[in-house]
Amino acid sequence: MALEVRNLVVGYTREVPILRGVELTARDGLVTVVIGPNGAGKSTLLRAIYGYLRPSEGDILHDGRSIRGLSPHRMLEEGIGLLLQGRSIFPAMTVEENLELGGWIIRRDRARLRRAFEEVYARFPVLRERRHDPAGALSGGQQRMLELARITMTGPRTLLLDEPSVGLMPRLVDEVYDEISKLKGEKFTILMVDQNVKKAIEIADFVYVLNLGENSHQGPVEEFRHRLEDIVREWL
Amino acid sequence: MDWTMLADPLILSELVFQGLVRGSMYALMGIGLSLIFGILGIVNFAHGEQFMIGTYVMYFVAAVLGLPFAVGILFAAVALFLAGMAIERGLIEPLRRRAGRDWLVDSFVLTIGLMVILQNLAQIVFGTRRRGITELVPGSLELAGITVTYERLVIFLTAVLIVALLFLFIKYTALGKAIRATAQHAEAAQTLGIDIGRIYTIGFGLGAALAGVAGALLISIFPAFPTVGYQPVLKSFAVVIIGGLGNIPGAIAAGYLLGVIEAYAIFFLSAGWQAVLTPLLIVLVLIIRPQGLFTAQGERP
Amino acid sequence: MTAATAPAATGGWTPARVLKVLLLLALLVLVPPLSDNPYVTTIFISALMFGLFGAIYDLMIGFCGLINFGYAGFIAAGAYGSALASFHFGISPWFGLLIGGAVAAVMGFLTGIITLRLRGLYLGLTTWFVAEALRFTISNTPEYTRGVLGLAVEPFPDLFGISFARGNLLTYYYLLLVLGAVIMIVMQLLVSSRIGLAFKAIREDELAAQSLALDTTRYKLLNFTVASFLTGVVGAYYAHYLGILSPTPEEFGVPRTVEILTIAYVGGRGSLWGALFAGFLLIGFQEYFRELEAWRLVMFGALLIVIMLFAPKGLAGLRRHLW
Repeated sequence: MALEVRNLVVGYTREVPILRGVELTARDGLVTVVIGPNGAGKSTLLRAIYGYLRPSEGDILHDGRSIRGLSPHRMLEEGIGLLLQGRSIFPAMTVEENLELGGWIIRRDRARLRRAFEEVYARFPVLRERRHDPAGALSGGQQRMLELARITMTGPRTLLLDEPSVGLMPRLVDEVYDEISKLKGEKFTILMVDQNVKKAIEIADFVYVLNLGENSHQGPVEEFRHRLEDIVREWL
Repeated sequence: MDWTMLADPLILSELVFQGLVRGSMYALMGIGLSLIFGILGIVNFAHGEQFMIGTYVMYFVAAVLGLPFAVGILFAAVALFLAGMAIERGLIEPLRRRAGRDWLVDSFVLTIGLMVILQNLAQIVFGTRRRGITELVPGSLELAGITVTYERLVIFLTAVLIVALLFLFIKYTALGKAIRATAQHAEAAQTLGIDIGRIYTIGFGLGAALAGVAGALLISIFPAFPTVGYQPVLKSFAVVIIGGLGNIPGAIAAGYLLGVIEAYAIFFLSAGWQAVLTPLLIVLVLIIRPQGLFTAQGERP
Repeated sequence: MTAATAPAATGGWTPARVLKVLLLLALLVLVPPLSDNPYVTTIFISALMFGLFGAIYDLMIGFCGLINFGYAGFIAAGAYGSALASFHFGISPWFGLLIGGAVAAVMGFLTGIITLRLRGLYLGLTTWFVAEALRFTISNTPEYTRGVLGLAVEPFPDLFGISFARGNLLTYYYLLLVLGAVIMIVMQLLVSSRIGLAFKAIREDELAAQSLALDTTRYKLLNFTVASFLTGVVGAYYAHYLGILSPTPEEFGVPRTVEILTIAYVGGRGSLWGALFAGFLLIGFQEYFRELEAWRLVMFGALLIVIMLFAPKGLAGLRRHLW
């Protein structure tokens, strides 16, 4: 389930591209992390992969199949889940309803849906406890859990995580990263973007550095552990 | 003006019932408008014309074809649902794609243009003659001392039924949940595989259908003529402001509240002044509680 | 992208441009008298008046993003304000112009105070309700306003020996031309000033403007009140020109507002002169197709939709080709 990005040129307007020919591979079963200064285009990259933006050049391949131009709502069918940046729960619906919507594309397969619920509740017992509460009443960390649980309901093997730690207290950041570690252990293919460079590097297998919309450095994580300070200094 | 009449329980209940009947229309229209705003984020000025088309459908079904009242309601619902979907696909979606920041104002103006076209086309095609049906259901009964026509009772109960069905639909069906999800966080809904373009289309169709049903239902009060939608749309915007933009339960509550208030106003003031009352009410609500009387505190208007 | 509002703002005064402007001015001033046809003059008066209303409307929507869906009510405020002042208190219509402006300005100010702190949508809806309330109030108080029976309004009294009796159409036209010139110049100066810059900033990105310590509500209120005042003045002129007022929807209700809104949009938001031009275009067009009366408003509606979908910048977008 590898995800490949080739020579991607994307912008919100034609004249001003944010990504200028980005190349990237999220290797099968590994955690690939994209770091870079503000405005480097990290979130834009994920949004372009997920179909929110149309690239003007380049291609995006999932398992060898081009997914460029696919609409965002088709991605889950493709087996790619996206964790949006910021709060993305449905606040006025219950936890259970949120999860039910997570299983939207398998809603007709009652057996499969039931199994998905059981797995999710086993993994996140707190969600089972609070399943009848409105999602908006959950704490920030619990909401993040709900969001993660939601995107895994239909079993996509590739996950795009957009700033999973943003807006959370340090303790909660650890909790979220624990969950992501578990996912890593289960051999999901993960492409993650995060401002929290330190935590991201801890969990990464492969690192890409993006700056001003272009590839800057890349390599297995070992090459980066000691160079972090220098790299971040480059951005300032 | 004999204010002692205010204390007469018979008159009170009569007025309350009148108010509930009026309120039924306001609630249906208000829900439709709120639904469209909540899901698509746009203000639909053509809502009154969708009501108007509903009246004509009922007229043709019941008076011209002689089919039963219920068939008229069904036809109106289906016709407006389809028309609404066509409008969304044909006009609103293209606008959404090209407009950027100015989306809300632009959609305002687009639906204004649509309103004008529909209203005046109706005038050209049907002429200004009022086509009404005075009594769909003959007879009346005595309830708690007041005379209640079957007509009004049917209107009220049908409206309640429709609202209940809608409520069940939105709350318990998969599509209903998808609609709610899209209204609450469209992007997140997309990440879960929901085709929000389709939801927008269905949502607009639903809102239009509600307006059409309101028109069909109330043919005995609002006969079919080209500009019949004006008062209803004015009132539905009032309902939506009082109830809170996008707040469906609020629209229901506000609709019935406005209906009852107006019933009193018409009785105690002259009909002309009642028309001034609604705008004044709106201004009052906007000064005191702009997010709407029935919206939770803290939601920014 | 903001369309420039006057030749001076983009490119400057080339000889070709100066010639074009002079030609247009000449047409404006000379066609009515030379045509020797009162019908032509009435069309010019209509076109100019609606063009002015359109330009003033554009001051609100094109420069500050303020949508006024009760605009016709503000015209009514000016018209009835002046008419009633002269009817009940014998005030000269000349002074009535200012009274009309003041009444409309007060209406605008109060409406603005209530709604400008809320989303733009609320302004549109509130102005609509306020305008309807005004119209119904006028209808319901025939003792004062003659309601739907119609209020007869006296013409302007003689000024500097010039007679403004009903039949002197040319005189009325030139009066409007003078009024119009003053109004356009005032608006042009306003939008070219620092205040105008604030308006544009608000229209472009209100949040950003606020973060630059711009008191956006104050500027929006200023814009709205000034526009209301100018509307009232032209409204007052309208009353004394027309000679009879009646609070029908076609005159002072939604259909009227839609006509003016369309003119502003066709002219292009952010282009005062575009609206003026569009006024002439649409009124002229409409007169030409007089027999198709019923289709008139359909065309306006269709035009609005076409503009929204295909030509959001209106005529101003075509400027570079025409100008």
